Amino acid sequence: MQPKVALGAAEIAAPALSRPGPAARSGAYWLNRSFRWWSFLPAALLMAVLTLYPMVNLVWMSVSTIEFAQGRDIWSFTPGRNLDLLLSDRVLRHAFLNTLVFVVVSVAAEMVLGLGLALLVGRLTRGKGLVRTVMILPILVPPVAIGSMWKLMFNYDFGVFNQALMGLGIEPVNWLGSTSVALISVILVDIWHWTPFVFLILFAAVEALPVDVLEAGRVDGATGRQALRHIILPLLRPALMVAITFRSILAFKAFDEVYLLTSGGPGTSTELISLHLYKVFFEQNQLGYGAMLSLAVIAAIVAFLLVSRQALARSTAA
Amino acid sequence: MTPWRITATALASATLATLTAGTALAQQGAAAIGKHPPISILINSSPWYAGFEKVVGLYEQQTGNKIKLDVTPFGGMLEKARNAVRGSESPYDILNLDTQWTIEFYEGGFLTPLTDIDPGFKLPQEVFTYDQSGYWNQEKRWRTAEGGKLMAYSPNGNVHLFLYRGDLFKEAGLKAPETWDDVLAACGKLHSPPRAYGAVFRGEKGNSIRYDWMPFMLGSGAAITRNPAAGDYTVTINSPEGKKAVDLMIDVAKKCGPPNIAALGQSDAIQLLATGRAVQGMLVAAAWPNFEDPTKSAVVGKLEAVPVPRPASGQHGDAIGNWHFVVPKSVPDDRKKAVIAFSNWFLTQAAQKAYLEGGGIPVRSDVLTADLASNPKYRWVKAYLDSQKFAKQELGYGEGPQVEQVLGLRLNQVLIGEMSSAAALNAAAKEIEEIFKKSGRKTGTLPPLPES
Repeated sequence: MQPKVALGAAEIAAPALSRPGPAARSGAYWLNRSFRWWSFLPAALLMAVLTLYPMVNLVWMSVSTIEFAQGRDIWSFTPGRNLDLLLSDRVLRHAFLNTLVFVVVSVAAEMVLGLGLALLVGRLTRGKGLVRTVMILPILVPPVAIGSMWKLMFNYDFGVFNQALMGLGIEPVNWLGSTSVALISVILVDIWHWTPFVFLILFAAVEALPVDVLEAGRVDGATGRQALRHIILPLLRPALMVAITFRSILAFKAFDEVYLLTSGGPGTSTELISLHLYKVFFEQNQLGYGAMLSLAVIAAIVAFLLVSRQALARSTAA
Repeated sequence: MTPWRITATALASATLATLTAGTALAQQGAAAIGKHPPISILINSSPWYAGFEKVVGLYEQQTGNKIKLDVTPFGGMLEKARNAVRGSESPYDILNLDTQWTIEFYEGGFLTPLTDIDPGFKLPQEVFTYDQSGYWNQEKRWRTAEGGKLMAYSPNGNVHLFLYRGDLFKEAGLKAPETWDDVLAACGKLHSPPRAYGAVFRGEKGNSIRYDWMPFMLGSGAAITRNPAAGDYTVTINSPEGKKAVDLMIDVAKKCGPPNIAALGQSDAIQLLATGRAVQGMLVAAAWPNFEDPTKSAVVGKLEAVPVPRPASGQHGDAIGNWHFVVPKSVPDDRKKAVIAFSNWFLTQAAQKAYLEGGGIPVRSDVLTADLASNPKYRWVKAYLDSQKFAKQELGYGEGPQVEQVLGLRLNQVLIGEMSSAAALNAAAKEIEEIFKKSGRKTGTLPPLPES
């Protein structure tokens, strides 16, 4: 302990002993003192270029109308126009509601399944590595392949699901062509794709649970359900928060699978915000309005995360 | 001389003669075209691509000039083309643009008119102009040869073909469908789901249903706008004729189609016809090779083609869905000249014949009329040529993609029973009018249809 105290004293005393005169203080001394701030500059500049500039550009786009003429882009400042388009966009309302349902249902299901699987696999005495490897496979499959694969399985006439149903003498289901089933089908695919992601996060946390605390609970006579509710879930809270946050952000941005499975149809039944955004940007070529829509999506994601974190915090506290 | 020596000498002479003739032909071709730097083409991986690839190979073989093909799925074409023209120098010397995309590129000033590269360049008389979609009149903001510059020519011109199972029709004593009533009558006899669907077309939201509705709309005498060529963008889609066209399509879908018709895209419709699950179907001409390939089709030699049927009290109508070869402005001059050299060669009768034989859809009428009528392999050609007489371009304005989104959604909503035809057309008319208003067009709409 002694050297630490001595070092601390020296550090405190050093500036007082070597305090330079007023002339030096304005030059090299100031540079020396502020070096630690200057050393941040390259990283700050890089961050500004890579993060802030695109965001500023997006904001600038969102208040502009961008047209192309004489081989170049022409920007005009029209903030009201894009806002007007946003408020009068009929498809957006459906897309927002669908996205909300999609995020809430798929993330909730993935959390329940992922947690259940993590707890089950955590109990295994051998073969955990193999299970983890098998579980990771759906995450590794490219979304385009997932979309094509599930589209084939959902095919009304030739798909494996309807073949199985018909084999059992049950009427085939219009998985992707019925307004009441299409969103459920899309959610099912998302759950299949992303439950392993939640599992991996929670499995690591389950493996790290303090055995002595669990043991103490058991000694005190806690039932399995009580242990889960009062010991395991509170201990897993940080991991649950990470999983919910990541999954919610990713679910809000879901695009590839929906695009390949239904393109947002039939009608607007599977139209999600990201799909609508794609259509506005790339099919309708409305760059200004597309940027405004992007900002609205970012705001929606932030709002959703804040609300869900608060709700989760309240439920854990209760 | 022994017989063996005679045979060997004859074979050697024949080989030499063939090689000499081949070389002479190649040299002749090369001499006419000249030597040019390599060029690259952004091309889509559509069903006719195989034919185009073969014809490009032939060009390279005959002229020694090189062409690089960037084969891209349909979904990625537009963004690649946009990125190419918005940069300082386009990585592609030729872009292939779908008909709805052309306006954005013409109007944006991103392209070099072909006659600016070579004032002597002109399309041979026999080449289809597909309702003059390769010309652009900047003043009128319209695709027309009248006062317009030649910006593009088509490497592929799609129209719908109506396909039906000749064998089953014969067995059932049915004649080739001329009207939609004939189609419905055939469904009455042959529609037996899920084993056999009477008729299929694309009902999927977006471009699919919008494009497949066009024959119903044009055949019923309806129009999206009053006279856009003359600057009158009054929306007329919610007319009684428009409603008749929607009702007719829904009738055919309900009585003949599969339960999931509202989710059917092009590949699904091809699949149903190729597997023999559908008896009739409306598809673009480019899809034809899928049905004659024994590795993909269970109905080789069984499908026949006619122009898309007309309403019983209407006329034939169809919308053209052609592709356009264009040259970005930012391409260096020597490569622009190389494009013109290739184009002159590609549009010749010989090249177009090779294109057809390779599986492409030629764009010269004389290739299609030559000696093909008697060849069963090309039995779709007559229907294709007949359709050219009445097919026309639709959505030939900058707002086309937005209008397509509106129609693609509203028609799909009628198909799934979410809206009545009158309500959908009234809503579409209002939304399309808004789009034109925001662009500053002279617009308006018809009084709403009764929605009872």
